[in-house]
Amino acid sequence: MKSKLKVLTLGWEFPPLLTGGLGIACYGLAKALSKKVDLTVLVPQSYTGLPTENFQLIGLNHIPFTHKETIKERNLEEIQYRLEDFATVEKIDIELNPYPVYSPFTKTKISAEKNNVLLMEPVMELKASEAFALFQDKDIYGPNIMRKVAAYTEVVCRLAENIEFDIIHCHDWITFAAGIKLKEASGKPLVVHIHSLESDRVHPDARNDVYYLEQQGMQMADRVLPVSDFTRQNIIQYYGIPGDKITTVHNGIEPVEKFKNKKDKPGEKWVVFLGRVTRQKGPYMIFETALKLIKRMPEVKFYVAGLGDQLGHLKYLVEQNNIQDYFVFTGFISKAEVGELLSRADVYFMPSISEPFGLSALEAAQFDVPCVISKQSGVSELMPNALKADFWDTNKFSDLLYAVMNFEGIKETLVGLTRKDLEKINWEIAATTIFEKVYKDFF
Amino acid sequence: MTSVCFYFQVHQPFRIKPYSFEEIGHNHFYEYDEQNRNIMDKVSDKCYLRTNALMLELIKKHEGKFRISYSISGVCLEQFEMYKPEVIQSFKDLVATGCVEILSETYYHSLSFFYSKKEFERQVQKHADKVFSLFGVKPTVFRNTELMFSNEVASYISNMGYIGIICEGVDRLLQGRTPNFVYQTPNHEPIGLLLKNYSLSDDMAFRFSNRDWKDFPLTAPKFARWVHETAGNAETINLFMDYETFGEHQWPETGIFDFLEYLPSEILRHPDFDFKTPSEVIRAYPKREVYDVPYPTSWADSERDLSAWLENRMQQQALHSVYSLEEAVLKTGNEALLHTWGKLQTSDHFYYMSTKFWSDGDVHKYFSPFDSPYDAAIFYMNVLSDFKFTLGA
Repeated sequence: MKSKLKVLTLGWEFPPLLTGGLGIACYGLAKALSKKVDLTVLVPQSYTGLPTENFQLIGLNHIPFTHKETIKERNLEEIQYRLEDFATVEKIDIELNPYPVYSPFTKTKISAEKNNVLLMEPVMELKASEAFALFQDKDIYGPNIMRKVAAYTEVVCRLAENIEFDIIHCHDWITFAAGIKLKEASGKPLVVHIHSLESDRVHPDARNDVYYLEQQGMQMADRVLPVSDFTRQNIIQYYGIPGDKITTVHNGIEPVEKFKNKKDKPGEKWVVFLGRVTRQKGPYMIFETALKLIKRMPEVKFYVAGLGDQLGHLKYLVEQNNIQDYFVFTGFISKAEVGELLSRADVYFMPSISEPFGLSALEAAQFDVPCVISKQSGVSELMPNALKADFWDTNKFSDLLYAVMNFEGIKETLVGLTRKDLEKINWEIAATTIFEKVYKDFF
Repeated sequence: MTSVCFYFQVHQPFRIKPYSFEEIGHNHFYEYDEQNRNIMDKVSDKCYLRTNALMLELIKKHEGKFRISYSISGVCLEQFEMYKPEVIQSFKDLVATGCVEILSETYYHSLSFFYSKKEFERQVQKHADKVFSLFGVKPTVFRNTELMFSNEVASYISNMGYIGIICEGVDRLLQGRTPNFVYQTPNHEPIGLLLKNYSLSDDMAFRFSNRDWKDFPLTAPKFARWVHETAGNAETINLFMDYETFGEHQWPETGIFDFLEYLPSEILRHPDFDFKTPSEVIRAYPKREVYDVPYPTSWADSERDLSAWLENRMQQQALHSVYSLEEAVLKTGNEALLHTWGKLQTSDHFYYMSTKFWSDGDVHKYFSPFDSPYDAAIFYMNVLSDFKFTLGA
C-alpha cells in the first residue's frame, strides 16, 4: 500500500482570530487537504478547543521545553538566506503585522534588500523560554513581529528535524524564511501559498522588507499558489515571477447556518462593510459612495464593522461632511455579532482597491445578502451574480447599491443565482487542485 | 402540390441607454440614440438593403413565381424613417411587385397579449395603420412577437378576423407529426395555423456556416433536394427566420447570398413545388389536424417557451411594473407619453435581462448592448422610475 504524502504546513494565525482571511483559509484548507495527505501544521498558537480531525496541530506555545537550552545561531556559512536587520527593526517604530500597513505618520525605515539572496541571521541568543514566551503573547500581530518571525523560523526549523515530510507548504510571507530554510536543509520541494501581497496592502510600487521577503519566497518556491487569478496576475506583473509555476487555487468556504432577522427600525436599509478599515479595502470609496447614495436614499445606513489605521480618517470625513447620521461604526465584532449583522443587511459592500480574495463577500452571500463588490478582487472570479464595478467608480457603486435596495426582482435574482454559485465553492475543490495539480507534480 | 412559404422577421428595438438612478426625476430621454442609429446603419447596409435588392431581382427573374412575406415591427419602421428612409423605399418596391405579403403584429413588438388585451389591440391597430399608410395593404395573417403562441392567442386573433397565424412547430406538441400542413385550433376556429419547420429553417438560419455540422456546406441544390424529399407528405414548407440571417447572422463570406440567389430556381425545378405567401397557403390548403397549445410557446431557445423573457424575478418585476402603468398613462391622454410607454414594452428590454446563459465564462454567447443582464435590468428599472415620476407630475 502506497503511503500518503506527508506535508508540513507552516501557518501563522490559527485558529481564525478574525484579523483577516488568512487563518480561516489555512484552517479550511488544512481540513480538506488532510483527507488526501498526512498533514502536520505548525502554528504560533492554538486553542485546544479547536476540532482537528485529521491533522496534527502543533501549537508552538504548547511545545514542552524540558530543558533550558539556548537557540544558538545556526552555522551561517552555507546558509543562503538572510533576513535583514532584525535588531534595527526593533528600534524603529513600525507597526508590523501580517497585513503591515505603513501609516503616513509613522517613521518607517525601508531597508531595501539589494541582493537576490536573503540570509537568515538570528542576531541574538534567545533562551528557549524567551522564544516561547513570545508566542504566549495574545497579540500575535503586535510590534514584535519581525522578532517573532525570526524566532518562529528558528523554532520551526528545529522542530522540523523531528518531523518527516515530503513537501513544505507555506502560507504568506511570515512563514517564507522558515520555508526557504527548510527546503535548503531537507531538499524537499517548497510550495508557497499567497493570500496577500505587499503590492495589495501598500502599493504596487512598494519595495520594502516584506516585499523582498515575498519575492524571495516565490522565487525559491517550486510552486506558487495565489488565491485568485487577480493575484496571479499581480505576482507576474509586480514580482516578476514566471507564470508557469503559478497555479491559482481559489479559497473555499465553510458551510454556515444562515438566518434572517428583522431590523429594529424596519424602514432602514443597511449597507454592510466587514473588514479592516485600511487603504487596501477602499474606505474612501465607502465615503464617496455614501455621499451620492444618501441624496436619494435618506433611509440608508452604512454599517462599518472593523478596525484599522484608516478608521479615524473615515470618521473624520463622515463628520466633516455631516453624514454621521448615516453611518454606524461598530468597531471590532465577534463571529456571532457578524452573523447578527449579516442577518439584517440589505446589501454587502466591498469596494476594495486590491483584494487578493475577499472572503467576507462569500460570508455575506451565505447569508443570502446580495453583494456589490470591486472588480479588483479575487472573489469576483467566483461570483458572476454579484454586482461589480471598478474600485474607483463610486458613481456605479451608488447605482448598484440603489438598484439592489430598491428593485426586489434584481435582488432576488442575484441572491437566488448566487446560492447556486456558492455550491461550487468549497475547500474540497481547492484541496483536489493542490493534490492533483501541484503535489503530484513533485513525484 | 407543395409550397415553400418564406416569412422573414424584421425588427429593431429602441434600445435604452445606460441610465443612472441619479437621472431619475430630471432626465426624461431614455433612448440609446447613438447606438440605435449605428446599428440601424450597419444592419441596413449589411442586410436590409442588400437582401431586399436581391429579393427584388429574384422576384423579377422568376416572374411572380418567387413569393415571400415579412413582418416588420412598428418600432423598426419608425427607425427606418428616422435613420434610413431608403430601406422603406426598398420595401415599398418589394410590396409593389405583388409577390410580397406583409403580416400583422404588435407595433411595439411586445408581450402585451399576456398582460393587457386592451393594450394588445391598441398596438395591433396602430401597426395596421402604419402598414397601411406606408404600403397600402391590409394584412390578413398575424404573427405575435417572437412567435409567442397559444390556443388563447389563436382564438383571440381568429376573433379579430385574421385568416392565419404563424407559430413555432414544437416537437412535444406535434407528437411525431409533421409541421408541413396547415393546422387548426382545438376549438376548430376559422383561423389556420402555419407551423415553422424549424429543422429546415434553422439549417438555413443557424447551421449554414457551421463547419462542424455534418451537412456543411449547404448548397441550394442540396437544400432543394431536402425540400423535394417531402413530396407526398407536405403541403407547406414553412421557412420562418430572422431577416438578419442574410448578411448579419450569416456573413456574406459564408455564401449565404449566393445560396439565396440560386434557391428559388432549384426549388422550382420540381414541378410539384412552388412558392406561396402565408395567406396564399391558408387559402390553398385545407386545415388538417388540431395543434393543441395549452401553454404559450415561442421560437426562442431550446425550450420554445416564454422563459427567455420572463424566467427570472427581475424580468417578471419589470414586466409587471411597466404594465401596471397602463391606467396612469391612458389617463394623461398624452400621445408622446403613450408612445414612450409603448416603446418600453418592446420584448428586447426583457430579453437583455435574461440570466439563462449568464455566467462570466459565457460572455460570447451573450447578445445584448449591455455588459450583464443586471445592467439591463438596472437601467430599465431606473428609466421606469423616471417615467413613473413624469406620469405623476
